[in-house]
Amino acid sequence: MSSIANSLDVRAKEPGLFRRLLRSRSGAVGILLITFYLVVGLLGALGLTPFPPTEQHPERLQEPDSTYIMGTDLHGRDIASRIMDGATNSLRVALLSVALAGTAGTLIGTFSGYVGGLLDNVIMRIMDVFFAFPAILLALLVVVVLGPGLTNTTLAIAIVYMPIFARVARGPALAVREMEFVTAARCIGIPHWRILLLHVLPNTLAPLIVQVSLALSWSLLTEAGLSFLGLGTRPPQASWGVMLSESRGISEIAPWLMIYPGLAIMLGVLGFNLLGDGLRDTLDPRLRGRR
Amino acid sequence: MLRYLAQRALAFVPTLLGVSILIFFAIRMVPGDSIVAMLGTEAGMLSEAQRAALERYFGLDKPAIEQYFVWLGNVLQGDLGYSVRHGEPVLSVILARFPVTLELALMAVIIALAIGMTFGVLSAVFHNSIIDLIGQLFALIGLAAPNFLIGTLIIYVLSVYFGILPNSGDYVSLTEDPRRNLEQLIFPAITLGFAFSASVMRMTRSAMLEVLGEDYVRTARSKGLREHVVVSRHALRNALIPVVTLVGVEMGYLLGGAVIVEEIFTLPGIGRLAYNAISQRDYALVQGVTLFIALNFVVINLIVDFVYTLLDPRISYVKHR
Amino acid sequence: MFKLTRYCTLLVVMVLAFGVAAPGLAQDGENVLIMARAADTTGLDPHTQTAFASLRLLELIYEPLVQLDADLNLVPGLAESWEFSEDATTLTFNLRQGVTFHDGSVFNAADVQATFERILAEETGSATRANLLSIESIETPDDYTVVLNLSQPDVPLLTALATVNAAIASSDVIAGGDFATDVIGTGPFMLESWKPEETTILNANPNWWGEGPFVDGIEMRVIPDEASILAALRAGTIDFALLNDPLIATLLIGDENIILNRAISISYHVLQLNAANEPLDKLEVRQAISCAVDRQEVLDTASLGEGQVIGPLTIPAYMLPLSEFFCYEQDVERARELMAQAGLEDGFTLKVIAANAEPPTALSEAQTIQEQLAAIGIEVEIEPLELSVYVDRWLAADFDAAVALNGGRPDPYTMYARYWTRGGNLNTVVGYIDDTVDQLMAEGQAETDPLRRLEIFSEFQKHLVEMAPWVWLYTGYEYTAQQPYVSGFIPMPTDSLYSLSQVRLER
Repeated sequence: MSSIANSLDVRAKEPGLFRRLLRSRSGAVGILLITFYLVVGLLGALGLTPFPPTEQHPERLQEPDSTYIMGTDLHGRDIASRIMDGATNSLRVALLSVALAGTAGTLIGTFSGYVGGLLDNVIMRIMDVFFAFPAILLALLVVVVLGPGLTNTTLAIAIVYMPIFARVARGPALAVREMEFVTAARCIGIPHWRILLLHVLPNTLAPLIVQVSLALSWSLLTEAGLSFLGLGTRPPQASWGVMLSESRGISEIAPWLMIYPGLAIMLGVLGFNLLGDGLRDTLDPRLRGRR
Repeated sequence: MLRYLAQRALAFVPTLLGVSILIFFAIRMVPGDSIVAMLGTEAGMLSEAQRAALERYFGLDKPAIEQYFVWLGNVLQGDLGYSVRHGEPVLSVILARFPVTLELALMAVIIALAIGMTFGVLSAVFHNSIIDLIGQLFALIGLAAPNFLIGTLIIYVLSVYFGILPNSGDYVSLTEDPRRNLEQLIFPAITLGFAFSASVMRMTRSAMLEVLGEDYVRTARSKGLREHVVVSRHALRNALIPVVTLVGVEMGYLLGGAVIVEEIFTLPGIGRLAYNAISQRDYALVQGVTLFIALNFVVINLIVDFVYTLLDPRISYVKHR
Repeated sequence: MFKLTRYCTLLVVMVLAFGVAAPGLAQDGENVLIMARAADTTGLDPHTQTAFASLRLLELIYEPLVQLDADLNLVPGLAESWEFSEDATTLTFNLRQGVTFHDGSVFNAADVQATFERILAEETGSATRANLLSIESIETPDDYTVVLNLSQPDVPLLTALATVNAAIASSDVIAGGDFATDVIGTGPFMLESWKPEETTILNANPNWWGEGPFVDGIEMRVIPDEASILAALRAGTIDFALLNDPLIATLLIGDENIILNRAISISYHVLQLNAANEPLDKLEVRQAISCAVDRQEVLDTASLGEGQVIGPLTIPAYMLPLSEFFCYEQDVERARELMAQAGLEDGFTLKVIAANAEPPTALSEAQTIQEQLAAIGIEVEIEPLELSVYVDRWLAADFDAAVALNGGRPDPYTMYARYWTRGGNLNTVVGYIDDTVDQLMAEGQAETDPLRRLEIFSEFQKHLVEMAPWVWLYTGYEYTAQQPYVSGFIPMPTDSLYSLSQVRLER
């Protein structure tokens, strides 16, 4: 009944998705970076920052020294603590938004592809509406409508990336729907939802996993971008984008304001990109090297 | 072919309609209307009759649905409405800003293609060499560095080491003073082009690697063609197809999504126009700009389709669909 | 590899071209003042525009009958002199002769009449109308005399006219022109072009009645980020700049190459409590908050001490020593007692709205207050909002507390009638009114004797502070910055740029 599911089980058990991932150079570096990011984010979430991230010290624009290892900003807040808090916030936004977008998008896409016909057409046209904008502008619009803040940024990013997941999931669903075993399954009276769940969905997994990793990096970038424009994370909560934006014009006097948040964003995005590359190489050798 | 393009174009009509509906009602859902955006707290000093008069002025006095159909009717006649904030028809506001964005986008794409394809071809030809490694590293950084970081960095480097300030808010158009215009646009264009060059590089490299292993290239080689002829005439041409897709997608993005870079470099482009219009609740302008951006997307998609057929005679739209 | 070499060459050529094409962006030696600011004009109608950014431009183009000097005294504008009748029910202006509008037409009483009628007409939508409501009729006995007949004694009317919102426009434009395109005033500068969110070009008015201007024009640029304005000043690409953020402006202190101008402002930073909402409707609770706040600390943290702690009235002539106000020294013990009296020893949660970056200090202030109120068990939740959303909620009185920077007026009555009179347009935003306040405001409006007015408004201030519907915090500075070769600019507490007419460039 569930040959596909079985084969997927086998694949998962086959020693090594993780080990194979580690064996690929990009996968290993990606995992390393992301682990580091997760640890920093976790420390931030637990409040284990050197200083409270919003505390204002009298030492404004202090150069990095032994007390403030990454210096302080215009308000006298400790950059290192804010970087950690920023990691927590951006991780929260990235994970939640991708989880939302991934789940909703996959369900919509799979359903749409499986059902086909007019409904499929209508659903995909609606998705097209979201595709008719540059992602950042769409996210910006959504945030303005919903109001800024972590939750709304999460929602905005989820809305922006949901159609991408829908498209990715729809393709395989469309293909599987024509396959013999699905017809067979339908003939012996297996309900649609079971077919969807057991036969269609597993087939979309490989591309989706790759997509998740890429979406995480986009989400990180989008959050930073929105925050840079003052529309993402609400101040005084820290966000790498806000920090970078605050460095404008005064980075001449205080380059550390720009360097550390900049590095943080780059390493975070790099981590997810590399993981994505690694996953793609491991899961789907045919896609190797494509982007 | 033409018929196919026409069909595609028609298919976009519902998309654009959807966009307009979405934007029209979304922007009106946001608290704080045009009057509040213009008057601030002084809006509270208005009497009922004064408020009503201003609502008439801003075209807010009718129910939203009625407003939408009035607007749609006007749009179909080529009238995008009037931007109260700019004191000009929306269309002329947009058209005044569009050259900046278009120029910026084209420059960014040219820069990205020049850098990206060079690195891509080199990486593929010298597969697994040190050049390849450097190229790959460059691409990774390019993809990971958001453009607002590159932009801030460029401004930092320029102002600290060269004493140049590329964001003084004194934009001059190409027709006014081409030289100064290029000076002003080159750095934002590099900013935008940098990340894109990484994508181009990766795409070119992988496409080239694929093509270089194919039969006809081997045939070409065995015919005794010199390597550079093989690379440029056969391999590159085929590697171009995915790059064209990429350029299409990127142009669509650049023609509306360069908000942050325009903001950093204080350029009066479409992205910033959209952003400002939203924060100022200039409804007509928001609607006009977003529709314009969406239209760009659509048109670019069509152009990409068209260019495909030119590049790859194997693709023919007559048979399919 | 021929093709590849060609690519490489192209690349090298491009890089070189950029290198060559990027020389310093030095200014040419023209006699045009280049200024930068973060916000742009929102429209060109002097009677309806209220955004500070719009006023800064329009007051260079349009002029009112009376102006304010740097000490907020009334000085002649388009009127050379004026006189109230004994009972303050008629106000007579003698107009300046020989003044022409930018289009060459002559300024006279008909323009004044048309202007006031336009402001008073409801379809104009002028917010300033609320201050001019006592004008019952306008007479023009001759071309250069205007008599305003008032429905009630209204002394503050005169200062209420000293704003560009009551500036005189040409009767021709009012009759048949469009204020968005026919920008015709009498001021020292004439509008050449306005590209929203980009640049505004002004030309000197060669026929201006005053002495000046001494520059050929002004180029106003919008650079949305103040730190970038600072960078532009330092790089010498601009001559003059408006700054709002004290954190940015103070970076110029000690900079030998740039002059930072500071004028203590009449705008005030305040924590507004919505006295209509529970538990803020209890006097003790409001007083407790007022006692628990350390105003100096708020000023020090949010604005780096740039400014001074004040009571309700920020006009120098009406200011009182802080010791005369209720609980102006932080007194946490007393605050706790007051909370206990109100039955709220365990505290409560107070939601405070603040606009993002408007003023730039808002969130910092909210944060400091959050820490201070925690000491008496009040848990402050800060709600940062986009400006328009903030204003929308503020106008609807949809908040418990709000951090605000409210504009001051040169007269106490005009400044507060909107909030603390029965029927005041913004009384609902305050949620508080009592007989004493209402009574004192009415007396202040009618009183012509300056000394008596001072007494009335002193009492008014002290009473308000004790009732604590708001917690007044401090006034900051209005900042401008300029290159050393710019001379003649007088910083104003109203932030007006009118004195740009006296500016000279000696490069």
